[in-house]
Amino acid sequence: MLEIRNLHKSFGTLDVLKGVDLSLEKGKVLVIIGPSGSGKTTLLRCLNLLEMPSEGSLKLGDSALEFGTGRKPSKSQILKLRQSTGMVFQSYNLFPHKTAIENVMEAQIIVQKKDKASARKRSAELLAKVGLSGKEDSYPHQLSGGQQQRVGIARALATDPQVMLFDEPTSALDPELVGEVLKVMKQLAAEGMTMVVVTHEMKFAAEAADTVVLMDDGVVLEQGRPDQVLRNPSSARAAQFLNVLIEKEG
Amino acid sequence: MDERKIQILIDSLLPMIKAGLQFTIPLTLISFALGLVLAILVALVRLWKIPVLSQIAGIYVWIIRGTPLLVQLFIIFYGLPSIGIEFDPFPAAVIGFTLNMGAYNSEIVRAAIQSISNGQWEAASSLGMTRGQALRRIILPQAARVSVPPLSNSFISLVKDTSLAYTITVIEMFQVSKQISATTYEPLLIYCEVAVLYLVLCTVLNALQNVMEKRLARFSAS
Repeated sequence: MLEIRNLHKSFGTLDVLKGVDLSLEKGKVLVIIGPSGSGKTTLLRCLNLLEMPSEGSLKLGDSALEFGTGRKPSKSQILKLRQSTGMVFQSYNLFPHKTAIENVMEAQIIVQKKDKASARKRSAELLAKVGLSGKEDSYPHQLSGGQQQRVGIARALATDPQVMLFDEPTSALDPELVGEVLKVMKQLAAEGMTMVVVTHEMKFAAEAADTVVLMDDGVVLEQGRPDQVLRNPSSARAAQFLNVLIEKEG
Repeated sequence: MDERKIQILIDSLLPMIKAGLQFTIPLTLISFALGLVLAILVALVRLWKIPVLSQIAGIYVWIIRGTPLLVQLFIIFYGLPSIGIEFDPFPAAVIGFTLNMGAYNSEIVRAAIQSISNGQWEAASSLGMTRGQALRRIILPQAARVSVPPLSNSFISLVKDTSLAYTITVIEMFQVSKQISATTYEPLLIYCEVAVLYLVLCTVLNALQNVMEKRLARFSAS
């Protein structure tokens, strides 16, 4: 389903990703953890080309892209890849001038060219799925952070992506609102959605992930089943990072 | 005030209003609309740094903002015919005011687009929208809200600036008042009367601006 090989990304002279290999099967959940500056968010953003990788290859569904000097994906390849991914942002990035349901309808109408009635029907279903029935006509500023993020999830689901990308989806939320978002994500995972999640939520990683990837300094430090990576990391660096996180969660 | 003066005021009102409806208002609306389209194009060309076009756009804005509007109008109407480009007064005025609005408003539009967070572009891209779709559906509607107050300002300036069109023989409101003043020998009275007409026009526009700001603010908490 998802396969990346030797992925590099540099910003000028700064190498943020230094050759990352990962693969993910359909229906599985991959959680990426790591200290800030480790390149985990950049890696996630490379998966839908919000950042263009400098080198390497990326396969997602039936898109196969190569990066490097002289090898840049075409505009139509980029659009196709983005349509087969859904992204949930740390700061939600909802469209403030549109209601909750209009946020979810937008891509169906503009990108998928669905008619309004069927887009509205599908959007209402998605909002119900994330527990926001009755909030269809609220504007983002009228919703709590947790509600906004759930609209963000519904919006990303609306184009029926093959894989969902979550970029620290609960980091901007007040602690008491984190649970409602994680609950929706766990439900999606249980339904068999393929997901890549960058997060600091160790509990979510332990409970929902099929694979946990620990990144540090632009490379994959550890990779494996959650119990293996979170409880018995093989490197001292990984153990040190996990200790810090566990202490913080207290 | 004696009866004769009151009669002059009443007699001159209709021709002035007629000139306003026939020339001042259409000149304002057409120039503003065309100028806004031009302003958006110039803003985008400069924001996206499109080669050659963005340099041309930069020079255009620099020249228009750095020279008097009156001089621009004279060049278009009196200057260009000597190289074989001739316009009637009204189209010449439309061209002059459009170029002027385009230059000033492009800076307003550019600032408004830049004020929209990059996350909005990213969210639109992540959904598979093209840059054009993101611009039209997501960015411009939000930028419009930010730019209503400064654009209203330049619109109201334009209403008053159209009086300069009298210099290139457009028979707009001020031109008519000038003619009436010359035949009645009542400059104070007539010019004050036309000033009141401009004031009424701008007051109405101000009220429209407030309505528009309220409507556009409905999606925002602030």
